[in-house]
Amino acid sequence: MSFLGRALAILRKDLKAEWRTKARLSPMVFFILLMLLVFNFSFDLGGAALREIGPGTLWSSYVLASLLSLSRSFADERDNDALDALLLAPGDRSAIYLGKMLGNLVFLLAVEILSLPFFALFFNLSMGFYLLPLLAVFVLGSACMASAGTLFAALSNNMRLRELMMPLLLLPMILPALISCVEATGLVLANECCEKLFPHLQMLGVYAVVFTVLSLMLFEYAIEE
Amino acid sequence: MGGDDAIVLEGAAKRFGTHIALHPTDLVIPRGQAVLLVGANGAGKSTLLRLVAGLCRPSAGRVKINGRDPQRTPEARVEIGLLSHQTLLYDELTTRENLRFFAQLYGLDNPDERLDEVLAAVGLCFPSPVLATHERLDQRVGSFSRGMKQRLAIARAILHCPSILLLDEPFTGLDSSASAALHRLVRRLRQEGRTCILVTHRLDEADGLVDRLLVIERGRWRLDQVLPEDPDQLRRLCAPYLDADL
Repeated sequence: MSFLGRALAILRKDLKAEWRTKARLSPMVFFILLMLLVFNFSFDLGGAALREIGPGTLWSSYVLASLLSLSRSFADERDNDALDALLLAPGDRSAIYLGKMLGNLVFLLAVEILSLPFFALFFNLSMGFYLLPLLAVFVLGSACMASAGTLFAALSNNMRLRELMMPLLLLPMILPALISCVEATGLVLANECCEKLFPHLQMLGVYAVVFTVLSLMLFEYAIEE
Repeated sequence: MGGDDAIVLEGAAKRFGTHIALHPTDLVIPRGQAVLLVGANGAGKSTLLRLVAGLCRPSAGRVKINGRDPQRTPEARVEIGLLSHQTLLYDELTTRENLRFFAQLYGLDNPDERLDEVLAAVGLCFPSPVLATHERLDQRVGSFSRGMKQRLAIARAILHCPSILLLDEPFTGLDSSASAALHRLVRRLRQEGRTCILVTHRLDEADGLVDRLLVIERGRWRLDQVLPEDPDQLRRLCAPYLDADL
């Protein structure tokens, strides 16, 4: 079976398991809603403040919620030592990384798209076509988080304090991508897309590609005991 | 090292931090031979199996499966079927979904046909007398009893027709009828010429399944000999190296 075929088989398996259990999507969505609610009561986000603080609150919620999901990336594999069965299968083991990374990307994107209307509702944001570029920011931002997050989830999988280690390892690494996500989202919310947005999207694209390639190379070492 | 050797360890050692799980170890298991690996808890049995399976990298030395390094040559791992303490299955998926997923990973040509074969081999062809009313092949594995899960784990381990079977406490959690079925299955696989390493604390379970005895203690070989035919002699030989409560 081809490298991509194995990665897609793992992706399908993860999506099927998630569809049945909702073990990752439900907590993420509820967590984001709670975060947005807390921010809503903490700050007055009307008018210009929405442009200043809104993107930060939105991406803080996404990043913290993504930690819940990413740290569970390998939990299903840990339950019955199923990861051993994946590692035993012939072929390049980095296909496991690609399958898991694509799964995380799907989950993060789904949660971001689901929670956007609530963000608009809580912070008096008028929905419209001008928000369409936000989709590109979501896709690239999620790709950055998924590419780095999956590697660090694998790395912390064998650690005793994995729930603690995961954010400590991941957050500093995704900081450059997070800054670009916040800046780009701010530009979209202020309806100032065009030239100013493009460098941020470029930066996110490069980050995602570089981290995915690096992770594919390092995964086999990261997953070892 | 001959061309007929299925498993070869050349000075293979494994260390976790400062703890030495396996001291430099040499081992040659010819194709078709079945070995009983005995030792107390923490003696290094599972570490040895994980090294052979390519699930961990030796800290020193080399491991070869049919002449190939399972770490460097991923295709070498297709020769290995591992039955572990755990089922290595996904609780959220059904029996068929689990087996189909692994069939995909191994690139099997006729997965559904092979699925039926292995399910029949472990006594789970439908309708099956061992399936309780709540245990159906289209139900999630998580709802199955331990015995059922173990049968499925065996089906998963032999799904891709491996030439080397690594059986780590395969009888754990099985009732007497399931144990007998597993015994028959392993014996049949042996007759088909597969190489086998069986790890068990219950020495009587190995009766008729193996022809060589290996005893390991604190990561070092203590005994390597032909399996005694007399069960009492086997028990006497192994007793000093097993946990007192076993």
